[in-house]
Amino acid sequence: MDYSEKVLDHFMNPRNIGKITNADVEATEGSPACGDQVTYYLKINEETLTIEDIKFLSYGCASNIATASITSELVKGKTLEEASNFTWKQIVESLDGLPSVKIHCSVLAVDALKSAVKKYQIEKGLRAAEPFNEKTVMQEMRSIIHSGAGDDIVTLNMVKSIEYQDGILTINLNISEKDVHKCTVVSEIKEHLSRFEEVKELNVRA
Amino acid sequence: MERVHLDNCMTTKPDPLVIEAMMPFLTEKYFLPSNFVSTGSNSKKCIQECKQIVAKSLNADESEIHLTSGGTSANNIGIKGYIMANAHKGNHIICSQIDYPDILTNAAFFEENGFDVTYLGADWDGYIDLEKLKSSLRKETILVMTTLANHVLGTIQSIKKIKEIINCHPSKTGVEMTGSSNSNIALFVDAGHAYGRMPIDVKELDVDILSFSAHKINGPQGAGALFVKKGTKIAQTKHGIVRIDNLDTGGISLAALAGMAKAIELQFNDLQGHIDYMRSLQNRLLQGIEEKLGKVLVNGAWGENRICHNLNISIENVEGEGMMMMLDMFGINVATGSACSSQGLQPNYIMMATGRNFVQSHGSMKFTLSRLTTQAEIDYTIVKFVEVVGKLRKITSI
Repeated sequence: MDYSEKVLDHFMNPRNIGKITNADVEATEGSPACGDQVTYYLKINEETLTIEDIKFLSYGCASNIATASITSELVKGKTLEEASNFTWKQIVESLDGLPSVKIHCSVLAVDALKSAVKKYQIEKGLRAAEPFNEKTVMQEMRSIIHSGAGDDIVTLNMVKSIEYQDGILTINLNISEKDVHKCTVVSEIKEHLSRFEEVKELNVRA
Repeated sequence: MERVHLDNCMTTKPDPLVIEAMMPFLTEKYFLPSNFVSTGSNSKKCIQECKQIVAKSLNADESEIHLTSGGTSANNIGIKGYIMANAHKGNHIICSQIDYPDILTNAAFFEENGFDVTYLGADWDGYIDLEKLKSSLRKETILVMTTLANHVLGTIQSIKKIKEIINCHPSKTGVEMTGSSNSNIALFVDAGHAYGRMPIDVKELDVDILSFSAHKINGPQGAGALFVKKGTKIAQTKHGIVRIDNLDTGGISLAALAGMAKAIELQFNDLQGHIDYMRSLQNRLLQGIEEKLGKVLVNGAWGENRICHNLNISIENVEGEGMMMMLDMFGINVATGSACSSQGLQPNYIMMATGRNFVQSHGSMKFTLSRLTTQAEIDYTIVKFVEVVGKLRKITSI
C-alpha cells in the first residue's frame, strides 16, 4: 500500500510546525536511534482546560511527519479529556489509511500527545501519578505495533504474560522465532519500558 | 524535466537501442532455438551472439558463459551448483556480513542444512577483513563468496588480494595438511554492481565463478549471465527441459538476451569513457551538495576503490525516508539505509556492520547513476536535495 493523498499533503505541508517558546507543557516520544521522534508543545487554557495552541517538531519519515501534523490539527481547541481519548486508529482513518509498516508512526504521535496531556495534568494536580504495576506495562504494550500485522501486540495476543516483582520485569511474548518483525517488537518494548525508573531489570522473552 | 532516476543500483532505464534490439524477438522472431528449421536457427544465432559478447566483455571463453534469466538466478545456480558439486570435499563456506542478499541468503540456506559459514566483518570503508579470511580458511573450506562492488557503499573489494590468500592456503598449494581432504577453494564473485562500471578480466582476476545481470547496465530485466571457469564443477540445481542454457533450464526470454547483448555492446564500446563520465557526475554531485550543505559523511571508500556510479552520504539530524519521499515528490528516485524504508524496520545491515551509528544509517542517502544520467539531472538533484534537507532540518526534533 502506498501513501494516501492526505498523508502526502500533511508530509509536504505539515500543519502547526515549530516550537512554542512559552509552552505550558512539552513531551517527546521515540528516539533518534529508532529513526523516529516527535515532540509536542502545548499551550493550555487553565480555566477551560482546552488546547489553545499546539506545535510539533519531528525527526522521522513521511508518515511520522504526517501523523504528527494531523494529530495536532485534530486536537487543537479540544479539551484535555477529549485529547486523551484520541486513538491511533482515528489518526489512521483521518489520513485515509497508512501502510501497516507505518502504523507505529500514528501510535508515536498519539503517545506523545497523551504524554504531554498527562504530564500537564499531574503537574497541575488534576490527576495523581499512577503507581507502576502490570497494568501500566499492559498499557504500554498497546503502543507496540507489529508492523507486519498493522495492529498492537496486545490485540494480536502476542503478550503471553507479564511478571513484575522487586523491580524485575519479565515479559513473555507469543511470537514466532522466524517473525521478521520480532527484533523490532522486542527493541520497542525495551525502549518503552526502560524509561520507567521502577524497572531495574527488564527481560523480554520471545 | 522527466523523472530523474538516481536509483540505478536497483535497476536502470533500458537504452532505446536496447528496446529496438529486443523488439524483433517480441514480434516476428519469437521462436525458441531448435535444430534445422530456419526459425530455430535464428534463435540459436541470437544466443550464440549473446554468449560471445558476454565472453568478450569478461575476457572469458565462450564455453565458460552460461546465460540466465537474471542476476539472482545466476547467483543461485553458481552458489548452489558449486556447493552441491563439491560438498564431498568439505562443509565450510566463507562470505562477509556486507555481501549482497543473494550471497547471504544462500549462505543462510546452507548453514541451516549442516554447513559451517564464516561471516567476515568489514572496516569503516567497507573492505572485508582479509586477516580474518586468512585465519578462517581450513581444510573443509570449499567456497569463498564476495561482492565485487558493494551495492550500498560502492566499495570495490580487492579480488587479487582475496585470491592470493586463497591460493596460499595449503589446500591450493598442495602442501600436505594433517587430515587434508584435497579440497580446492573456489572464489565466487557477485559482480552485479561492478559489471560495466569497471574493467573485469576473469583471467587476470583468476575468479572461478562470477555473475551479473543486464538490467544494471541499461539492459532489460530478466537476463543475466554466469561465468564458470573451465574445470569448475557445477551441479544441476534447476532441472527441466534445456532450451537455452543447460544450467538455467526452461525458457529464458530471447528478447531479454538480445537486449542484454545490445546493452553490453553499448556499455563496452567505450567502457573507460563511460566510467570517466559517471565518475565526473559522482564528483559533481558530491561537490554540489557540499558547497551548499557543508561537509557530509561519505559512506564507503573514496577514489579509485569506489565504483564510479555510487554516492552514499549521511546527513546529520535528517531522516532518510523523509528525504527520499520528498525527493520522490520532486520527481527524483533515490534510496536510503533508514529503518523506516525497510519492511523489517531495521537500519541497513551494511551501514551498521561497517560501524555507522543508527542516526548515520537512518540519515543515509544513496544516489546511483548510469551512463544515461545527464549533468542537468545531477544539477537539478543538487538544488532539490539542498531544498529538502533545509526543509526537514527546520522541523527536526533532534
